[in-house]
Amino acid sequence: MPDATAPLARLGQVARDPRGYIERWRSAHPGRPVVGVLPINFPREIAYAAGTLPVVVQDDQQPVTEGRSLLAEFYCGYTRNLADQAATGRLDGYDALFLADHCIQLIGAADVVRAVLPDTPVFFGMLISSMSDTWAPGKITEMMGEFRAEFGSFTGHPVTGEALAASIRAHNRDRQLIRGLFDERSSGNAAFTPGQLQDIVGASMIMDPVEHHALLAEAVSAVRDAPRDDRVRVHLSAHLCHAPRRELLDLIEDSGVIVVDDDLFHGRRYVSTDVDETGDPIEAIARWYAQRNVNIPCPTRVQQDVDWDAYLVGAVRSSGAEAVIHLLPKFCEPHMLYYPELRKGLDAAGIPQLLLETEHEGLPAESFRTRVEALVERVRRKRPVPA
Amino acid sequence: MDATQDRSNRLSVTRAGGQLITDYWEDLFTARERGQQIVWYNGGALNPIFQAAGLAWCHGEAFAARLAAQRLEGPAQLAGAEYGYNAELCSYARTHLGCSVLTLGNQGQALQGTEGEHTGVVGINDSQQLAARLPSPDFFVNNYAGCSTGQQWDGISFRVFGKQLPIFGISHPFLWGNKPDAGYLRGEEWESASRYVAGQLRELVSFLEAQTGRPFDYDALSEAMTYIKRAAELRREGLDLCKAKPAPATFWDWIACVAPINFLPGDQGLVDYFAGVRDEIAGRLAAGVSGVRDEKYRLYFDGIMNWNKLGFLSRKFAEHGAAVLCGRYIHNAFWQEPQLIDTADPLLGMAKHYLLCPTNHGAKTLDYLTLRDCREYDVDGIVFHSTRTCRAFTGPQRLLARSAQDKLGIPSIFFEGDVADASFYKEEILESRLAAMLEAIDVRRSRGVPLAAAVS
Repeated sequence: MPDATAPLARLGQVARDPRGYIERWRSAHPGRPVVGVLPINFPREIAYAAGTLPVVVQDDQQPVTEGRSLLAEFYCGYTRNLADQAATGRLDGYDALFLADHCIQLIGAADVVRAVLPDTPVFFGMLISSMSDTWAPGKITEMMGEFRAEFGSFTGHPVTGEALAASIRAHNRDRQLIRGLFDERSSGNAAFTPGQLQDIVGASMIMDPVEHHALLAEAVSAVRDAPRDDRVRVHLSAHLCHAPRRELLDLIEDSGVIVVDDDLFHGRRYVSTDVDETGDPIEAIARWYAQRNVNIPCPTRVQQDVDWDAYLVGAVRSSGAEAVIHLLPKFCEPHMLYYPELRKGLDAAGIPQLLLETEHEGLPAESFRTRVEALVERVRRKRPVPA
Repeated sequence: MDATQDRSNRLSVTRAGGQLITDYWEDLFTARERGQQIVWYNGGALNPIFQAAGLAWCHGEAFAARLAAQRLEGPAQLAGAEYGYNAELCSYARTHLGCSVLTLGNQGQALQGTEGEHTGVVGINDSQQLAARLPSPDFFVNNYAGCSTGQQWDGISFRVFGKQLPIFGISHPFLWGNKPDAGYLRGEEWESASRYVAGQLRELVSFLEAQTGRPFDYDALSEAMTYIKRAAELRREGLDLCKAKPAPATFWDWIACVAPINFLPGDQGLVDYFAGVRDEIAGRLAAGVSGVRDEKYRLYFDGIMNWNKLGFLSRKFAEHGAAVLCGRYIHNAFWQEPQLIDTADPLLGMAKHYLLCPTNHGAKTLDYLTLRDCREYDVDGIVFHSTRTCRAFTGPQRLLARSAQDKLGIPSIFFEGDVADASFYKEEILESRLAAMLEAIDVRRSRGVPLAAAVS
């Protein structure tokens, strides 16, 4: 039986029970606020520098009940889940909610939060998503400054440059440690399962970054290298703002696949980019936002000179993946729009691929298993036959 | 009363509008032959700027809506599906992207090509239909407020065309209302967003000068906006006349007027058309003629139009004696605040209208606008078109329904349909829910309970 007190298990507990962590943090830090931040680009560094605990609000995977009467059923599962969390008291642990991303479904969910929790401030500072505009850098910096000012008003204390610099250092250090695990995986080390890596990233969205780093460092020190086995090597792609179900990750690996890289939000995408620790911290955070879309392009941004399809082909070549599995949350419009470009790009590069459309409730396990196994067979036939 | 009798009485003048629209599209289809450059754009009505720049323009949503209204959307949607677009994607976007696929195929770039070669469904016979007549663009301009998909859609069109064509994007802050002074047409958020968008319009002018090789004609813009402002004023006058009981015209008449106000050239013809609309309504009012014979119920309609079903829905509601009078898509869109336009220097007023897109407000502002219109038109109920592939319009609908019930005692129903995909329309659901709501209104009336009393 696994040791529940082991560092990795503790990270998993936080990822699976954010509210439990928030309660413990509140007890240890009386009087300090906990703010919920919504995916995918909110600068957690600013909120942390203000002395708050910023928690990326997770899809808690509970069935949608009250939320059904607040958002249409053709909104994505994550946003319907958010509405449901608001309507059933599961967001009561947050003192305020902040969001920065222009996703109309996310905005719809935030509007529901504002309506059903009128005493909880919901601040929306919209980061420009048209990244190629000449005025984009200035507007991004301006908005980051507004976030800083807003947190100063919210906490009653200005957010100092020193606090920002310290927050940036703490987040960078944590990101670098996590990113190292993804780099090791894509280089051939199979020490961590996709579910474990998801828990590590998920916990980093919830915990104090200093605490997370310490716990993860302890966890990593106890793990040895594990070479890849002979399963079909796969890159998991997308699920751009919430985590796929752990059962799905297990199912994929149980179907003859080993995941060697990903660009999931609860994966490499979240930790892709560090904030420059030199110069003005607000300008550095603004550059971080822009650079994230260069390092791993996201279809929620419009940028003519970066290509998600080209990124995927490069990532596959780099990790030695033999196929790509696209994980598309049902009703995710940016992914639906970009998918044909991905398909064309991977087809042109001769990379087999499979699209799995995920839903908030229900996992068609046997259907998915059959399709993943078919992909596995297809890839195996492409492998060179030993002489 | 025979329930099958057509009780709708649509304005006759809108037929003239239909001819204007047909002429406009025919003109666009032959623009390249006349040496005009062609711009594809989405979102707010930039056409006066394109007009002043001497361009031919194609509004993506408008073309998708036209195809759907004529039931010619099939080939484009099939082409889009074959290319890989999911049926749950905005049907405006996938219809228009399907047109891109067909247009490129017609140019010999063989994304779809000839029958049977790359595709089992859409071949040359289908693509010769209207969807494939759309001339390819020389460049793109995106002007989408509110809906995030709108901006991404043009970003993908740019990719479908091989990343070869110039593209210009205008970003619109969502009018969320963070600050205490925020509200409809007021507050620092509104003012700063307006200035920001106006600044981008000036950048657009520079972009167009670079594309056309000509200096931009600001006088021509002022002239076009003078006509559009006057047309918008006439439109508002006509809308106000429809507050009368019984109403002389209905929401469906105004839906037929969307295309003219949204993308026709700003000229005397546009003014004459809306003067004709206003005058016919005024004439009906004087003669006691109503838009629905024996009007019994007054309804509000929330949602983008179900373009496949315009005539059908107008007759359907009229069969029940229900006059649909107003709606977010009509009253809170399309140059709806003409007093904001300074024709001598129109860019700021234009920027404000782009920001006033009815999907670019937080639910608080939409609540204010919806309840205001429900009161002014004295409506009995609200019909929400739960527009399957338009998350932008449907987002706040549940909140609006609750608010109308709680604050005004107005009941509502939801029915599922879509802007350009008829497969999502559910006839039996609309019929049964509409009948139930009207019956509930009857019961309340029989008890002598006015709306305000129902709340208190």
